[in-house]
Amino acid sequence: MNTEKINTAKKQKRKYQIISVLSVCVFLLVWYLATAVFELAPSYSLPSPVKVFNTFLTKLHSKAPDGATLPKHFISSLQVAMLGYLLGAVIGVPLGIAMGWFKTVDKIVRPVFDLIKPIPPIALIPVMIVVFGISIKAKAVLIFFSTVIPCITNSYSGIRQTKQIHLWVSQTFGASNMQMLFTVASPSALPMIFAGLRVAMGSSWMALVAAELLASTSGLGYLISIGRSLLRSDLIIVGILCLGMINIVLTAIFNLVEKRFVRGGKDE
Amino acid sequence: MKAKFNTKGFVNSLFFSLIGIVAVLILWTLGVNYTTVGLLLPTPMEVLERAIYTMSNPIGRTNTLLMHLAVSLRRVLVGFTLSALCGVILGIAMGRFKMVEAIFKPLFELVRPIPSVAWIPLAIVWFGIGETAKIYIIFMAGFVNITVNTYAGAKQVDENMLGVARMLGANELQAFFHVVIPSCVPYIFAGMQVGLSTCWMAVLAAEMVSSTEGIGWTITAGQENGDMTQIFVGIIAIAIVGLLLAVLMRWAERVLCSWRVRGK
Amino acid sequence: MMKERKTVIECRNVSKTFYSMAGDNLVVDNLNFNVYENEFVVLFGPGQCGKSTILNLIAGLEKPTGGEIIVSGEKVTGPSPKRGMVYQTTNLFMWYTVMQNVEFGPKMQGVPKKVRRERAQKYIDLVGLKGFEKHFPVKLSGGMQQRVGIARAYANEPELICMDEPFGHLDAQTRYLMEEEVERISNSDRRTVVFVTNNAEEAIYLADRIILLHNCPTSVHKEYIVDLPRPRDYTSPDFLALREQITAEMDNTL
Repeated sequence: MNTEKINTAKKQKRKYQIISVLSVCVFLLVWYLATAVFELAPSYSLPSPVKVFNTFLTKLHSKAPDGATLPKHFISSLQVAMLGYLLGAVIGVPLGIAMGWFKTVDKIVRPVFDLIKPIPPIALIPVMIVVFGISIKAKAVLIFFSTVIPCITNSYSGIRQTKQIHLWVSQTFGASNMQMLFTVASPSALPMIFAGLRVAMGSSWMALVAAELLASTSGLGYLISIGRSLLRSDLIIVGILCLGMINIVLTAIFNLVEKRFVRGGKDE
Repeated sequence: MKAKFNTKGFVNSLFFSLIGIVAVLILWTLGVNYTTVGLLLPTPMEVLERAIYTMSNPIGRTNTLLMHLAVSLRRVLVGFTLSALCGVILGIAMGRFKMVEAIFKPLFELVRPIPSVAWIPLAIVWFGIGETAKIYIIFMAGFVNITVNTYAGAKQVDENMLGVARMLGANELQAFFHVVIPSCVPYIFAGMQVGLSTCWMAVLAAEMVSSTEGIGWTITAGQENGDMTQIFVGIIAIAIVGLLLAVLMRWAERVLCSWRVRGK
Repeated sequence: MMKERKTVIECRNVSKTFYSMAGDNLVVDNLNFNVYENEFVVLFGPGQCGKSTILNLIAGLEKPTGGEIIVSGEKVTGPSPKRGMVYQTTNLFMWYTVMQNVEFGPKMQGVPKKVRRERAQKYIDLVGLKGFEKHFPVKLSGGMQQRVGIARAYANEPELICMDEPFGHLDAQTRYLMEEEVERISNSDRRTVVFVTNNAEEAIYLADRIILLHNCPTSVHKEYIVDLPRPRDYTSPDFLALREQITAEMDNTL
């Protein structure tokens, strides 16, 4: 009876896994049948999965029709993203902490910050293009902007949420203001700071794609916008799937880093 | 007990806020008037004047500033409502029924990591440059966020509470409406808040890529004409509307989730 | 005299094993006892093991792996509104007001609004929460939340109410208050109650009959009929003597 029950539980789990696999297979099959066999949609608007896969393979080494191979676009996008993101994090997090900890800084900077906070980074693309032209600089500044805001917001509220009792404890042990900031407030704000970095990653990735769509000569966003103008939806789908893949990989890396830094579990 | 309104503290913080904002405005004006920044940027006064002017005069052919905003807002409203409907239904279904989860989770995971803006080219190829394409893009932006959050909410429904409801004589359907739905509501709202701001971003991007009207179009048009003042007017309008949308959502959440607020 | 009383719960050779990857866990072993109508029975025993499981079995939230439980002549197969439950963690519907929580049971059974409102109001008044009808549970203290839980169970007018260490999470002061409260409520609205606790004082204060349980796997160790006059006095010599006796016996159950 005992093993029987456990076996049924295992079987149930196996059953659902098989259904998941089947579901993806059916999806691909329907896609294939609809395009390659019955030709329900014109191939320029919806190519068959086989064609998408072939395009992916050829794009790995071929430069046509957009002037660079897939890995090149990939590196180009990632480079800009990293540059802007790291810069934004390095400046945003300390600034947010300072705003949260020092009352005078808070009082003066916060209203200004509250004014720029609701501006979606995508709206700044035209400004960047006018000021910097179509260049890496324009994109990097844009990503910097879309990273720095969530970093500041979350570091700020992370510091603000430091439990008063923890500060009192450290005061009774004779900690100075600076010691309290670095040994109590900052570590306790860490989960919030990481949440901010996570939001920043999403929004800067979105901003980058938008910038590349609008004005660029390289990058995955550029690839898909060329795909559009040539009515090559296979190219677009390859580009979109790559963007999704990178997102998955970056999120996984981020999770590892977060696990390494946020120790002792997140506070409620 | 109601907290007393702290007049002194309010005046104090207002004073410091004004210092900050006035300082920025003065620096901005000085920078434009006396340095090379002036070649690129308009002064705050110019932006204000233009904003007032375009309230009654058209940007482009026929639409005034407010009409452009209305066009964008209508698109967001339609796309967001659709995405909220589908997202909540799919999220709850995946969270509560193992079979639905097994079928749709892998497909959803395929779509989830794609940044909503990346759908723009495909949407244009599929639906042309009309309204459908834009609504599709906005839909994708909201749908992913709302589904993820609702799903997480439906997964964490306390099985104990379902037991409690059954003990009190609720059938499956009643338990669903009185326990599952209410305990998902905070999560749904979290998803809708993120979703709405993403939708607002997505409509901008969609309008910037291809449109002949809408607030996103006004800033790209400004860029094409080298009219920085118009870009600034557009950005400020976008920021204000974005802020209003966020405030609206927060207010709705406060009303509908009042049971979570501790103390009086 | 005993024989004439109607039997409400009959546990016949009940046993319960939890199966898991880590191994089998026999929690309840060959349990036999009866509970009679309008009786206040306390299931009392040390440790963590088995007591709540017995209540879950009676409530129908879990199925016994051996034997059977009969409530009012019917075999328990699943949860039923005829059996009310008050939980250790209050398990209130946090998204409903006090009134909505209390009227939940009748509402589920389609009792018309006016009737169920009246009934809910009666029990809200009975547990002393008049004036808090429109409050949400987060705004109430632990003791008040537990009162709502009790009112909710009573408002369904079940033939049997199970209470699973309802005051386990409360501070000592509130606990005494709540014990008096339960005493008062069960006097004014007489029902069959099965009450689980690991506090000897609480058991003697409330019970008509105490069933001392054996620890892990749980079975009946000994029964005590408490016939001290109510309301009982924690400091009376009889109370203390019984307490002494039960506590001494408790060591033999481990």
